[in-house]
Amino acid sequence: MAEFELDCLGEACPVPLMKTEKKLASLAAGDVLVVHIDHSCAMKNVPEWARKQGYNVEVEEVDDGEWDVIIEK
Amino acid sequence: MNTNESRPWNQTIGDNMGGAGMTEPSTATVRKRPATARKKKRNQLPIGLAVFAGMIVIGVLLSLRASSLGMFWLFGGCFGFILQKSRFCFTASLRDPCITGSTSITKAVLIAFALTSIGFTAIKYSAFANGLPIPGQSYVQPISVATAVGGVMFGIGMVIAGGCASGTLMRVGEGFAMQMLALVFFVIGSLWGAKDMGWWTEHFISGAPRVFLPDVFGWLGAIVIQLLIIACLYVAADLWERKKMGTPEGE
Amino acid sequence: MKQLWEKISKNRYYQMVFKNPFTYITGAVLLSIMQIALFAYSGNPWGVSGTFANWGAWLYQLFGGSVEKWFYFSSSGAQATLDAGILSHTGTMLNVGLIFGALLATLLASQFKFKKIKSLRQVVAAVLGGLLMGYGARLAGGCNIGALFSGVASLSLSGWVFAAFLLVGAFIGSKLLAKFFM
Repeated sequence: MAEFELDCLGEACPVPLMKTEKKLASLAAGDVLVVHIDHSCAMKNVPEWARKQGYNVEVEEVDDGEWDVIIEK
Repeated sequence: MNTNESRPWNQTIGDNMGGAGMTEPSTATVRKRPATARKKKRNQLPIGLAVFAGMIVIGVLLSLRASSLGMFWLFGGCFGFILQKSRFCFTASLRDPCITGSTSITKAVLIAFALTSIGFTAIKYSAFANGLPIPGQSYVQPISVATAVGGVMFGIGMVIAGGCASGTLMRVGEGFAMQMLALVFFVIGSLWGAKDMGWWTEHFISGAPRVFLPDVFGWLGAIVIQLLIIACLYVAADLWERKKMGTPEGE
Repeated sequence: MKQLWEKISKNRYYQMVFKNPFTYITGAVLLSIMQIALFAYSGNPWGVSGTFANWGAWLYQLFGGSVEKWFYFSSSGAQATLDAGILSHTGTMLNVGLIFGALLATLLASQFKFKKIKSLRQVVAAVLGGLLMGYGARLAGGCNIGALFSGVASLSLSGWVFAAFLLVGAFIGSKLLAKFFM
């Protein structure tokens, strides 16, 4: 049950999603990845992708225009 | 169908890690984060209302100059608002199938195609049936090598720039410096393209056919065929996503 | 006063309309309604990139250049538009209005944040991408809105042809993105 962080602040579409996909591939089941994003598209497409993969996802708005996408594999 | 599951914005749970570096494995469980103090969020609603008031003022001033200017300002504001709220991106509709296999935006674009096709056909046919000139026919563009080259160029450009034409404008409004830069060069590129249009027209575009579907299939035939094509593409998009991303459990 | 803003922000309907994002389908339906309305009102569908060419021309004129002899601006309509100036240009109002509409949407959701450019890679991507889009749009007679969205809606085969090549370009762009711009 390890927790990892991925900083995607300031990244353009679709980089947060691509990086998340890559990172998550290397994680084990039960691991948690926290992705920091500030892109409004990513706050929608990253959770959508993760849910379609069957992972548990939560999105938290941590600041104006900044979100943490918490994905549990 | 709303895939957004964000909590109410004012709920302060979890600690703010604000852009700390990469991968720090820890054994803390996620769901039980301590509610530590986070960055003070400013409610931007008052600023938003001020901007809204400003937009109204500009709209009125424009209308005094010419009512069409005010109307286009209004339409622009609506388009921008809707695009941002729905995170609608034509770029994503074509790019995501290539990257992750996701076609949710693709399908939404297809639905937009279907609805607007119906609306436009109604307007155009009604003009035609009343013996009036059909509006908007200048948007029936010639099909030539220029269409193909332009399409590929635009496709590459929109993916690497992180947004298409409407997407770039939308993101300028959202505060993305990168798209502000892209906009500047979009304008420069447009000027450059305009400059070369004489050459392209001479060599490829003049004499190229403009194909208005009702001319080929009749009015009813055209809209029916177009809707059928859209329906087929919709199914194809659905199948593509299932293939690339796997089917949901139990299906 | 602050209490008032907080109270409004927590309101259920405020959350529904202004805070939470819309679904893609909602966006598609609303955009379609607006696109049809614009067509009904002005006799022409929505277009974005044509305005950019005019902006370029006006900018060029500002620096002493002249586009009078260019084929692209040779029609009387095009000349008239340029002569009337940017403050009389409806396309400009639409594009600038779009920017403000998006800004308004983010502010009312308290989600506005200025995002600086992060790396040289982003600069290269923005410059290259912008140029390709600008040039490509002129060639195809429009962008994803004018040539694609409006083209298809206008029952023009060109819209579909453009779409096919856009897909090719998007595919190539995706590969480039993964290789160089990630």
